[in-house]
Amino acid sequence: MNQSMLRQERTAGLMFALPFCVSLFVFFVYALVRTVLFSFQTYDLFSTPEWVGVANYIALLTDPLFALALKHSLAFAVVVTTLQTGLALLLALAANQKIKGRGAFRTIFYFPSILSSAAMTLIFLWLFQRQGLINQGLGWLSAHGGLIVTGGLLFFALQTLQFLWKRRKYTWMRWGDPFNGLVSFAVTVVVMVIMAGYGIGVRALEQPVAITWLNTREVWGPLPRTIWAIVAMNIFTTVPTLMLLYLAGLQSIPESLYEAARIEGASRWQQLRHVTWPRLMPVSFTVVTLGIIGTLQMFDQVALLGDAAPLESKVTLAYFTYHNAFPPGGSPRIGMASAAALVLATLTLILVLIQRAVGVSETTND
Amino acid sequence: MTESALESRVEQAAVRRRQAASLIILYGILLAVATVLMGTFMFALLASLKRDPLEQPFRLAFEQIHPANWVVAWRLGRQGSGDAFWGGFGPSGDVTFELTYAAPADVELVEPAIEVPRRRPGTGMAAAVYRDFAADHIVDWTIEHAALEPFEVEVDGVVTPWQRATWTIRFRHDNEGPRIERVPLTAEAPLSQTLVDATLPPTRIERRGRVASWENITPGSLGYVFNNYRRVIKESVDLNTGNSLFVSWFKNSFFIAAGRVILTLVFATMAGYALARLRFPGNRALFMLLLVSMMIPVQVTFISNYLVIRDINLLNTPWAVIMVTIVSAQVLIMKQFFQSIPKEIEEAALMDGAGYWTTFYRIVLPMSRPALVTVTIMAFQGAWNDFFWPLVLINSPASAFTLPVGLLSLRNAYGGAGDWSLILAGAFMSTVPVLIMFMLFQRYIVDNPIASGSKE
Repeated sequence: MNQSMLRQERTAGLMFALPFCVSLFVFFVYALVRTVLFSFQTYDLFSTPEWVGVANYIALLTDPLFALALKHSLAFAVVVTTLQTGLALLLALAANQKIKGRGAFRTIFYFPSILSSAAMTLIFLWLFQRQGLINQGLGWLSAHGGLIVTGGLLFFALQTLQFLWKRRKYTWMRWGDPFNGLVSFAVTVVVMVIMAGYGIGVRALEQPVAITWLNTREVWGPLPRTIWAIVAMNIFTTVPTLMLLYLAGLQSIPESLYEAARIEGASRWQQLRHVTWPRLMPVSFTVVTLGIIGTLQMFDQVALLGDAAPLESKVTLAYFTYHNAFPPGGSPRIGMASAAALVLATLTLILVLIQRAVGVSETTND
Repeated sequence: MTESALESRVEQAAVRRRQAASLIILYGILLAVATVLMGTFMFALLASLKRDPLEQPFRLAFEQIHPANWVVAWRLGRQGSGDAFWGGFGPSGDVTFELTYAAPADVELVEPAIEVPRRRPGTGMAAAVYRDFAADHIVDWTIEHAALEPFEVEVDGVVTPWQRATWTIRFRHDNEGPRIERVPLTAEAPLSQTLVDATLPPTRIERRGRVASWENITPGSLGYVFNNYRRVIKESVDLNTGNSLFVSWFKNSFFIAAGRVILTLVFATMAGYALARLRFPGNRALFMLLLVSMMIPVQVTFISNYLVIRDINLLNTPWAVIMVTIVSAQVLIMKQFFQSIPKEIEEAALMDGAGYWTTFYRIVLPMSRPALVTVTIMAFQGAWNDFFWPLVLINSPASAFTLPVGLLSLRNAYGGAGDWSLILAGAFMSTVPVLIMFMLFQRYIVDNPIASGSKE
């Protein structure tokens, strides 16, 4: 290839990339640089910015609302990422079979993730009202608590009985054998239905469950109850989709690997630990990275709560930034907002990097 | 003996039994997850039809989904305005409505006091601009009383004689006034007699059962079932123009989504092609920057972007929302797609003297249909569902909002009391375009890991 052709290709490449580059530079690079500058200034969007050095960062450190926001964001990211990854993996492991009709399930499982966060959030806010379905469901659960516990115990008893019976007859059976499990489950369900018919294990509630989920200052563990409601909603929308990712990952593992492991006498757990898990690392990596990035920027759900929850119970880093830039009825504190935004950006990068480091060492171990 | 050696001794039948059982368990789990997902939406959808979505306990069977009521609503709508679907009360309207009261035989049944109240619909902004009341355009109503009908009530083996009577009320329109959307009605009767039947079940029972009230006795069948949906459109009005805000939110969302799709297609295909095929200075740096931009939350860059948009006087316009998005994810998809197609055809075209643009436009793009569809869908869905940028860049007037921000304003307007029938109906209506898109193009959405991952 001669010089002029090379030059032509370079020009063409630059021209092709130009529109996107302009947008990337104006709305990302320039914006990022300006955020860094703003974080060392005081600015209210109208007057001229004033240089104040690290004063904004010091103000952040002493702002109790920022501490809350940071804590909520971190806890939210860790809780949601862990729960959604774990649940998706468990469901996928339980469901790992080649099946017919997977397309239909895929369509259904994708459904929540295409809806707008506004519509989803409103539906969930409705569920979490004081008279909402969540509380009504909890009421039903607590009324049938006796029945459910009995059912669980009965299932374990039946399964163990079958297990012991087989062992006595010198027939091989794992405790968790699916066929016997299905038998125990069927018997349990029949017994539970009969019990419910006679009203055994069912008690009448004196008053309906009325937990205030949203407009409350109550804190459960690392997060306010309000944000726990958002956790539930996030998991609800993500787990089915992530489960499909895991299912695809599981089915790409060649059966011969498991056969080899079995020949060497590996137990189920050992197969999971040494064959399945390392092979799933790429999928897990994607799932966790997406989880961290997505959860740290969680904003829409908080904003859509509107006035229905006190600021202290719903604030996250992303919301703290927005709230400082456009405070309702106050003057914008762009310096504070920018400093907080940079903390958010750094946090995201650090978490992703940590995750990557841990992920890489996992794969090299095996 | 090791476990696997034991396992190999298990008879074939047992193995087959176990495989069948695990298949059943698998379907059970998938079905359970699907039921939880779809169940939640079904419940919310049902609730969006109800007058009170927060009723306790939650009923799965209620007036609006009872087919007998659809038939009645159909008839009433046709009598009222000739429109069996959406009802109303207009010229030549002639509506008959029946009420049946019952009382013990020794109590005299009296005629209920009927009123068409001048009630404003809902609590929204529409109440302020509501002008036409059914009460002003009814020429006369007649009330007729059918013969008393005796019947018996048995309580704990004791038989008491009762009687019931049906009153037929007939409303006629004055043939001059406009077509009115709804005719409210109240019927008051002494406590000693009970309303046992009516053409349509009453919307509310007030004053300890003495007053039965109907929101609308000429609903039409769709107007009856989708009353809340109609209310969202009619009650969210611009106080200055009287136009429906919900409709303008819909239009704005469409405009922004369309603009975003066009801009994304241009930017993403060109940049994707440059990154995939062309050697130019800064190629790698651009790619790294693109990856970083996908990781940094929008909340980090929005202040500067807000100021840029303000400085070029585009605040509160849809153009602002179209412009600010960075289409990194879509560039990535296009790049990967271009890399997956064979180079030879392009090289041949270039050797024949076609320029880079001609090759790209005439040869590469036509081969890229699947990727283009994917990117279009992603861009449309992302723009339609975007909440953050419209919230930041469009503050006023309310008619400039997009749907998600509009929903937030609906929610805040009805905040404390929480008119959940409106909010839920609005939420469901706002999802219709993406739902249609999902049904038409689901294989492009479902099979694309990046599209599913970069969901906002």
